[in-house]
Amino acid sequence: MGRMKFLCDVERCIDCSGCVVACKEGNQIPVGVNRRRVITINQGKPGEKSISVACMHCADAPCIAVCPVDAIYQRDDGIVLVSKETCIGCGYCFMACPFGAPQFPSGQVFGARGAMDKCTFCAGGPEENFSEKERKLYGQNRIAEGKVPLCAAMCATKSLLAGDADIVADVYRERVFKRGSGSNAWGWDKAYKKK
Amino acid sequence: MNYYYKVIMKRILIPACIAATGMVAAMVYAGTDPVIVTPIGAGTGTSSFIQMNDAFTGDWQQYGQTFTNLQAGLFDQLFLVILTLIPAVFLLHYILIGAKHFDHEGEDVYFFSSTTRLIHWVAAVSFSLLVVTGLMIIFGKLLGGGTLIMGGRIVHIASALVFAVAAVFMFLIWLKDMLPMPYDIAWLFIMGGYLSKKKKPIPAGKFNAGQKMWFWLATVGGLVMAYTGWYLYTFQVTTDQLRILAIIHNFLGAAMIAMFLVHLYMSMFAIKGALTSMITGYKPREEVEILHSRYKI
Repeated sequence: MGRMKFLCDVERCIDCSGCVVACKEGNQIPVGVNRRRVITINQGKPGEKSISVACMHCADAPCIAVCPVDAIYQRDDGIVLVSKETCIGCGYCFMACPFGAPQFPSGQVFGARGAMDKCTFCAGGPEENFSEKERKLYGQNRIAEGKVPLCAAMCATKSLLAGDADIVADVYRERVFKRGSGSNAWGWDKAYKKK
Repeated sequence: MNYYYKVIMKRILIPACIAATGMVAAMVYAGTDPVIVTPIGAGTGTSSFIQMNDAFTGDWQQYGQTFTNLQAGLFDQLFLVILTLIPAVFLLHYILIGAKHFDHEGEDVYFFSSTTRLIHWVAAVSFSLLVVTGLMIIFGKLLGGGTLIMGGRIVHIASALVFAVAAVFMFLIWLKDMLPMPYDIAWLFIMGGYLSKKKKPIPAGKFNAGQKMWFWLATVGGLVMAYTGWYLYTFQVTTDQLRILAIIHNFLGAAMIAMFLVHLYMSMFAIKGALTSMITGYKPREEVEILHSRYKI
């Protein structure tokens, strides 16, 4: 089975935030929650670079390690998912995550955090595929439809790659070779390096 | 000849010198400004990656990793050890040495005023809820998570608000009696006399050294718990600060639960009828003379 990974090519990202809009709209994410974000460093200066980041679906995911209720789990294809009905909103996953992926909507009582929401790689959640409950809690299940996640599908510069790790790595390697410069993809060491 | 010399000097050489000086000055200035000298895209991948990491969650390697390792491998085990070891030691103490009995039929001493008792019980109920719900969050796996534990979190926040107020009053009413005294050291050396069955007068004022430790941990420690807990609830600090606050909250919580268990055992089992004094306000005269020998009745 393939291993799903994200890769954002910082040499190509133009800070258009199309991926953020596509994710929010397509998955009907509540206000205040951003599964995907784009940040820019050195804005307006030489060396300006932008990157789009959501959950990296890490190999040895720290969020899974710290969750006190085992609400987070990893599928065989590497996609890390959360069960919103098990999550208690304690926020430990947010503290453990190197990418700031876990997001929390405001809850009903005292404004305490509700269940964690994060990028699902557009693979829904633990509910039955294409069920109304799954759509409501987690958004679309494009992986089950055989499509890549919304963000990567709509990326205008094809900076954001998503899919089988070997193919993603091949595309990137070819780009780096043609550019004759560049370095390892941002976040890959942190997310996927075997300890 | 002299005329041409003057023209050349005036029109060409002097302006050229000024221009050259200006250019050199501009180049020197440009050389000191990193924005001008760095060609576009010249920043190394590594340095821009480091800047990106900082923009997300700070220095993960320092606090993120520490927090992850502690939460994944230590905290729940630490609480498990406290919850099993301390009651086990007390069970052994109860079997081997046994409880202290005092004459409840004789003369009584008025020990706790009604205000004191009210404040104590408000703090006691809210603190017990904090302990139970806190442990529910820590051992959430065993209870399956979901609505039950989420409700526990809400109760944890609500009772923290009550306890924070009660702890302030508790601090004020007992501060004078809880100040450390020289004889507290003697109390610590004989472990409060709980290791022997003899009824010898124990060096302690209105409160003994053990009660004083519990008092300071519950009030000052409670303040730290409230401070750290408030930010763990609001999340209005940086991610690195959240990690540090969570670590403090867990370690201090473990210490407070340990002392809470000690307090429960002492008041409910180790000294027979000690619980009554916090309900009625009266302690047997014999108990005060033995366990609080420095207290002037």
